[in-house]
Order: sequence, then structure tokens, then C-alpha cells
Amino acid sequence: MTDGGTSAAPAPADRDSGTAAGAARPADLAAQFEREAGAVADRQAWEELRLRWVGRKQGIVRSLLDDIKKVEPAGRRAYGEAVNTLKETVEARLAALDEEIGRREREAALRRSTVDVTLPGRRPAIGSIHPITLVMWEMEEIFASLGYSVAEGPEVEDDYHNFGALNFPDDHPARDTQDTLFLDNGLLLRTHTSPVQIRTLLSRKPPIRVICPGRVFRNDNDLRHSPMFHQVEGLAVAEGITVGHLKGTLQAFLQRLFSPETQIRLRPSFFPFTEPSAEVDVTCANCKGKGCEVCSGTGWMEILGCGMVDPRVLAGCGIDPDVYSGFAFGMGVDRVAMNRYGIPNIRMLFDNDERLLRQVRE
Amino acid sequence: MKFSLEWLSDYVELPAEPRELATRLTAAGLAVEDVEDGEHGTLFDIDVTTNRPDCMNHFGLAREISVLLEKPLRRPAADPAEATERAADAARVVIEDSEGCPRYAARVIRGVKVGPSPDWLRRRLQAVGLRSINNVVDVTNYVLWELGQPLHAFDLAKLAGATVVVRRARAGERLVTLDGAERELDPEMLVIADAERAVALAGVMGGADSEVTDGTTDILLESAHFGRRRVRQAARRLGIHSDASHRFERGADPEICAEAASRAAKLIAEVAGGEVLAGVIDVRAAEVPARRGRLDLDRLDAFAGAAVPAADAERWLTGLGFRLEPDGERAWRVTVPSWRTYDFEPRPSGEIYPADLYEEVLRVFGLDRIPAALPGIPGPDAPRAENQVRRTRVRRYLAAAGFAEAVHFAFHDPAADAAYPSLRPDTKPLPLANPLSERYSVMRRSLIPNLVESARFNQRRGRESVRLFEVATVFYERPGSGELPDQPEHVALVCGSWPLHSWDREWELDLFDLKGVVEGVARELGVELEARPAELPGLLPGKAAELLRNGEVVGCLGEVAAKEFYSLYVAEVALDALVSPGGQLSRQVVLPSRFPGIIADFTLTHALSTPWSEIRAAISAAQPADLEDFSLNVRYQGTLPDGVVNTTIRFEYNARDRSLTKDEVNARQADLTGMLVERFGWKE
Repeated sequence: MTDGGTSAAPAPADRDSGTAAGAARPADLAAQFEREAGAVADRQAWEELRLRWVGRKQGIVRSLLDDIKKVEPAGRRAYGEAVNTLKETVEARLAALDEEIGRREREAALRRSTVDVTLPGRRPAIGSIHPITLVMWEMEEIFASLGYSVAEGPEVEDDYHNFGALNFPDDHPARDTQDTLFLDNGLLLRTHTSPVQIRTLLSRKPPIRVICPGRVFRNDNDLRHSPMFHQVEGLAVAEGITVGHLKGTLQAFLQRLFSPETQIRLRPSFFPFTEPSAEVDVTCANCKGKGCEVCSGTGWMEILGCGMVDPRVLAGCGIDPDVYSGFAFGMGVDRVAMNRYGIPNIRMLFDNDERLLRQVRE
Repeated sequence: MKFSLEWLSDYVELPAEPRELATRLTAAGLAVEDVEDGEHGTLFDIDVTTNRPDCMNHFGLAREISVLLEKPLRRPAADPAEATERAADAARVVIEDSEGCPRYAARVIRGVKVGPSPDWLRRRLQAVGLRSINNVVDVTNYVLWELGQPLHAFDLAKLAGATVVVRRARAGERLVTLDGAERELDPEMLVIADAERAVALAGVMGGADSEVTDGTTDILLESAHFGRRRVRQAARRLGIHSDASHRFERGADPEICAEAASRAAKLIAEVAGGEVLAGVIDVRAAEVPARRGRLDLDRLDAFAGAAVPAADAERWLTGLGFRLEPDGERAWRVTVPSWRTYDFEPRPSGEIYPADLYEEVLRVFGLDRIPAALPGIPGPDAPRAENQVRRTRVRRYLAAAGFAEAVHFAFHDPAADAAYPSLRPDTKPLPLANPLSERYSVMRRSLIPNLVESARFNQRRGRESVRLFEVATVFYERPGSGELPDQPEHVALVCGSWPLHSWDREWELDLFDLKGVVEGVARELGVELEARPAELPGLLPGKAAELLRNGEVVGCLGEVAAKEFYSLYVAEVALDALVSPGGQLSRQVVLPSRFPGIIADFTLTHALSTPWSEIRAAISAAQPADLEDFSLNVRYQGTLPDGVVNTTIRFEYNARDRSLTKDEVNARQADLTGMLVERFGWKE
């Protein structure tokens, strides 16, 4: 602490100091100091107190020490000790007061800078991934764990890959079920991701395990249908692939996608590119199979189509159907996303309303 | 398709509980979608798939039921009492197109009395949704719904020369069909003609001129087999869909023609009187070969992953009409019934595939009885493709940067397509031949128009900021017809906002918020993009740029010219351009120097027209030793004369092996800034 160097106000003790003598004097002063110290409430009063008592030039303690010359030599020792005691008392008390005032000042400063912690925080403006993308990622991840890779292909396709190679006979009503969108030049928008299976079969040798996620298109536009929607198809071709393997794979996949309690049911059906073909139902996730509004009281929900790859498809792609067999399946992504996120209408998936999109979490 | 249980019970004994039957049929591939009880008794609504035209009639469905429930099947009687006059003497049939019509069977009935049908007949037709017309026509419809064979009754008196010719239509030939419409025919269509003119569209619809009327007494009953292709062509070109064409398009049974004609003749004699002439006129122009193959149960078990008892398989197939001759242990030579064509298309060797028979056995066995298992293919399939990894990284980066992913249709409005930039302005958008509407009539060449549209959608709903992105394919025509178009994948973004408020701050999204994200996502993939001023459609001049990589235009960005609410900023980049040099993005880190660096700021006063890219290039080219990084720190125009700007650049020096001294850095800075002032400095 630096000495202010300024003189304190003339103190009575100073004036009296000339006549002061004997050891009792500093002791009296101790009581006086204590009274004054007790009245100190802030930093300025403390500073004044300090200068008045222990100021280097005019402080009372300094004057007392100077007065030692006026004291009888025999009393000097006692006098000196008394002054020193006073000095120590004063300094200790001043230090304690300093501490106390500092503490009070810090508390006051803290009180002044208190924030309203209930004000809203500034959140980083993060974005979101589309619900369809998220569901596709999840399906890809499940199949990756079963050893599948992801295959992709063009969205504008030709008749051969979309129909011919998939055993749709030329000019057969089976094609009518697909409501195809055509380009002017005879090409078409793929109606399913099955052409990717064909491209895979044509370019690779078994064993093959792929899934084919992607956008597909139909000439169909109403409250329940969108002209563009999304599919994930799968294909496994190897020696010794069985119908049981198809069931086991779908069961593993659907139990991970929905819940471990999910049961599946296969109903024989018809697709040109598989035989036997089947529609697959899962137990309704809403009512766990008891029957509710979501599943029209049946306890089951139709979720995908599947089958054993038709030998004509394999042979057409140069794979010997007498050696290899395989299964294929395909499911819509959009309805799974709608279910998962509580979106009632497929068209809402393509409105791109940020108020909806930004709520979607992985 | 509606089926009457009362009608079905003519041919097979049914269980008391219809639901049980519905469940069994559904489990075998004939999905019963609805069971209704009404004035026609119990009706099943069954979704009969296109490969099973043989089940689009009551007898065919009864055959399935007889196998599923193990009950005997009763065939309807087809033995009319015959007169002595021979049908062959009363009418003549000529097939000129044997491919379109391999077989034509006919019966002749004389002296019928056309009138209303009896109640039982009317009720049955009503049950399946048909209107009663008269007793003769009703019988033909009845037999179609009973045996699946489409029939047609001609008024024999109206057939010139009492002759039926099956031939191609002549160019320009006209026919008024039963529905009253006059049709213009073409030589791709097959017609039934008399000696003079077309009287019916083969397998599709009869003609009005030869139709059975109240005055008709003599009838020629046609029961022919038409190939599916010609029938489908005619039906599609003329926009007609009839019960007959529905079945012929899917494939009818060539072997039932004569039986169906006799069945109908018997019923007509019963309900309309008259006498059935002796014999069936039966012209076979081409043989429809029977299909054969071999079924080996051990192989079937291996294919299914289940054990199917031989006696069951044999009984089921026989019941379904397959002929089995033993061919080894648990194996047979199998002949496919004539009514099953679709699923049994022979392979080049002439044999059908064994899987065709496996399907038949397994759908009766029950797919639910096959135990689930996982295939034992070892190891994983191929690794993830680079473009798939890249696409996912782009999506994750943009979402983390505050953008919400949008998904739009692949087609849009041609006006919108023309209104914004495309990376391939030389191409025309690919039009759809049968679009849903003008709004969705061309394939996208850019993702920007849809993003702007969605941004507007959000603005109109009061969003104070918009940040959307999309990753999707665009389509560019490729010269040469039949070639698939170029279908590269792009990423595009849109953003904009009102002044945004936190409770103590305010800011607004602008072009450089967007550009920073584009640069950031490119750098995330190891790529630097250069911006070059450009005039682009739909974007404000002076606020638009092409994005280049190695001198090639790979994207664009700018401010949207049309303004509604607040300004919008857009960008688009081809994802193929975001492959780091060398293809593989290095994951290696650069270790930070162990020594403290020195930062030196320098303010260059220069003409506003000097682009930052030139200054940046000059610094990069100068390459002072130990310059680790530099960046644009502040741009200030405030009190400077017009056309002048202060650019403060921050330089970060650091040596990897020692601490640099201030003097060293100052010397390098002096050289560098001297050069910058000389080249770019503003001179009054």
C-alpha cells in the first residue's frame, strides 16, 4: 500500500503530543482507535482512518514514535513497547477491516452484475435432415449390419431395365399397374428401384447383397398418392438362397426398424420379377396386433412386397438360375417416415415447410 | 372382383364360416379384400392378380377352393340335347389370322325366343355387378363368369353368307360397337367379319348390326381363343375395357372353347328355347403347345428351406389341373394345365423353370409354414461408394450449418426452369410425354427454382428467416435418341431473412452467409471454389457469380432478382465437382507449431473495383517464408472517397522449428505490403 503522503487533518492527539509522556498514553489511544474503526463503513473512511493513524508522515503512530525523545530515558523502553503494541493493533485491525470492506465491495459488484438467468439462451441455428433421408439412412444402416452394400442407378430409365428385364411381358396388363410417366423419346421415369437390381445383376457376379434406395415416380397424384415417392429395395443372390432366408432377413430387418416384438406374415401375391411372390404384413406398431384404427382393426399393416427372384430375370442377366437363387424385396420409405414422425399426409413430406422440417430429429 | 358364395357352392362344398374360407384363400395368394353380406348372399371381393385370369370366374376359383379345402370339384354340365341338323351345315368359320386367333369354336341354335331372363340368372349376374339384358346375352355373360371364357352371340340372320371370317381390320374400316360408338379400325386390330364387313371387334366387343335383338331367332355362338396382344392393342387404341378384353389380355384357356360353347348352348336352350344344332364348329388354326417341366421335391425343399411331403405336393398339383407322371424318387414330369399360361413361360430349351412349379406348391403349402433363417453369405458386400459418402457429408454439414433439407419433385414448370440459371444453359429441359399437369411437365435442370418456390411458401407463412437445401438429381438431354440423359447430382441452397433478433443483437442473412456455407462445404470435401462475376437469369446483376473449379464452371450463386418480403440468396453446385484432388480426401492433420506465432495486420487502400480474389492470388503467389495463413479481416469504406476501400488483412507467421523474431516478420511484411501497395494501392 502506498502512502498517500498527504497530511491528515490536524488531530488533537498531535497537538497534545508535546505534553504527552508515560506508557499510559498509547494505551488510551488504542481504545480511541477502536471506537473510530468501529465507525468505518466504506473504503474512503477506511483510507482516512489509515492515514490518520499510520500515515507515514503525519500519522498518530508516527508522532508517538517521534515523541520518544521527550520521554524520560528510563521510561523510553516501556513507552516504545507501548507504541509498538498500538501500531501492531492498529495495523492488524486495518488489515481485517480492509478484508471486510473488500468482501463487501465484491458482493456489491456481484449484486450489480446479476443477470436474469431466465432470459432465453442464444441457440445455435442448426438445420435438419429430411425425414425421408433419415429413414433411408436407418434402413441402410440396418442392412449394412447384415452385410449389404448400397447400389444406385439413374432415375430416367429405359424400358428394358424398368420392365423388360424384370419379366414384364411386352404390352401386358402387368405394366398397367405401374402408371408410368414417360419422356417424349420413349424413355421413362423409373416406377420402382428394381432397375438398379438389374444393373447390379448385369455388372456383378454372385454372391450379391445390395439394397437400392431411391426416388421413384408414378402418374398418380391424389390425397394418398404422390407422383414421386421413395423406395428401398433389396436383393440377395448366391448359391443356396432359400425362401426361409428371405423370411429371416425381412424379420431381422423389420424387427430392428420397428420393434423386437414385431411379427411378420407373408401372403402370396404376384410380381412379374419374383416367384413365389408375397406381400408382407407386420403386426401393427400402434396396437401390437390387437386391432385398432391405424390397421383397420386387422392387427396387421402391409409393409412390403417380396419374393424369390424369377429365374427368367436371373437368366436374362447372365446368371444361371439352375446354380444360383436369390430373393428380392421392396418397401416404401415415405409411409414409414409418416408413421414415425406423425405426418398424416404424404403431400406434407414435399411441402418443405420449415416449421415442420426443423422439428425432425434423428 | 366379386364372387358369389352361393354360386361357388354349385361346384364345391363350402365351409359354414365364410371368414375361414377368406383366410385360406388369402393365404394362398387370392386376397379376399372384403366379405359382404347382402341381398345376393355372401360376396367375396377378391383381388385377383394379373397372372391368374383362370381365377377370374367362379369355376376357376372353385378349383382353388377344392384343393385348399380338399373337397371334390363338380364341373358344370355342357351336354345340350342336339337336333339332327349339323351346325357345320348352317354356318361357316374361316380363320385368316392364326396368330391372332388360334382357335374358333361355334354353336348354332335355331328358334330361340329372346326375352327376359329367369330370376336365378338375373340374380347371379346382379351379384357380380352385371345388368340383365336378355336371356341369350345373359347366358353368354353367365358363362364368362362361370368358366372364364368370353362368348359372343351373333344374330345368324344378320351375318352375310352365314359366314364368320377372323381377319385383320382394313384401313379405314368402320364398326358401330354394342355401346353405340362408331369406331374407326386399323389393320393392327383383329375383327370378326361376315362375308361383307366387320361385325365385331375380336375379343373386345360385338357390333351393333349383328347384335341379338327381340326379333332374333337363330344364333351363332362364338367361343374363340384370341391372342392377348391383338386384343390389348385394339382395346387400348379404342379406349374400350370389357369383361372379355380383360380376360383375353391376361390370357384365356384355349382348351375350353368347345366346352364353353356347349355349356352356353345348353343354358340358352333351357332359358330361351330353340334347338341346338349338332356338333361344335371347331376350327383350330394353330396348336397352342402344352407346357411341361420336371418337379424334384428335394430341390424344392432346398429352394424353400422347408420339407414338403410328396403326397401333398402330388395331390395339390393334380387338383389344380397339373398332370404328373412319376420320374424318379420324389420327382415327376409335369404338364401345365392349358388355363395357366402367365407363370409358365418356357425357357429357351422349351421346358418351364422348376421355380414355376415351386411357387405353385408353396402357395398351397403356406409361406408361413417355412421357418425363418439368415443366409450364410460370408463377409460384407462392397464398401460404400465414394459419392454416397460425399453426399452424406454434404447433408450433415449443411444441416449443422443451419439449413433444413428439402425434397422436391424431379419435374417442374417449364417457365420456372427458364427463369433461373442452369449449369448447362445450352440444353433444353426434357419434357414428359404424359405429365400430371403443366406444372410438372419438364425434368429439372436446376434445383434452384423449386427452392425459391419453397422459400416463398415459407415467407408467406410468416417465417422471419428461410434456410433450405436440397441434394438431388438434375437432368440434361443427351443428343441421340434412346440414350439415357445425363443425370448428375447437385446440391443447392436458398437463404434470406428479415433482420433477426436475439434480445440484444440484430443481424440479417445475406449473400456472404450463403457463400460462406458453400465455401465451407467445398472445403470440408477438400475443394476450393472460385467465384467469378456473371450475369445469370433470375439473379440480380452485380450480385451473381459463377463458381469455378480449375477454370470449369461447376456452380453459381447470387441474389434472387424478384423480391417478395425479404431478399433471397441462392447457390447450386454439382456434387461431382466436390471431389478432392486425387479423389481420396486426406484425413491427416497438420500438427500445430510448438512455437508462438506472430500476427501482423496490414491495411491496403485500393480501388473498390479491384477484386479480393486478385489480392489474395498475389499474396499466395508471393509466398513469404513461414506465412501460415492470411485472411480478410475488415473492409471499410466509411469516410473514404467514392470508389475506394480499405482492406485490412491479417497475416499469421509461424515457423515450425523456432520462434520468429519481430524483426524477421517485419522485414517480410515490408516486402509483401510494398508489393501490394505498388500493385493495388490507390493513387489519387
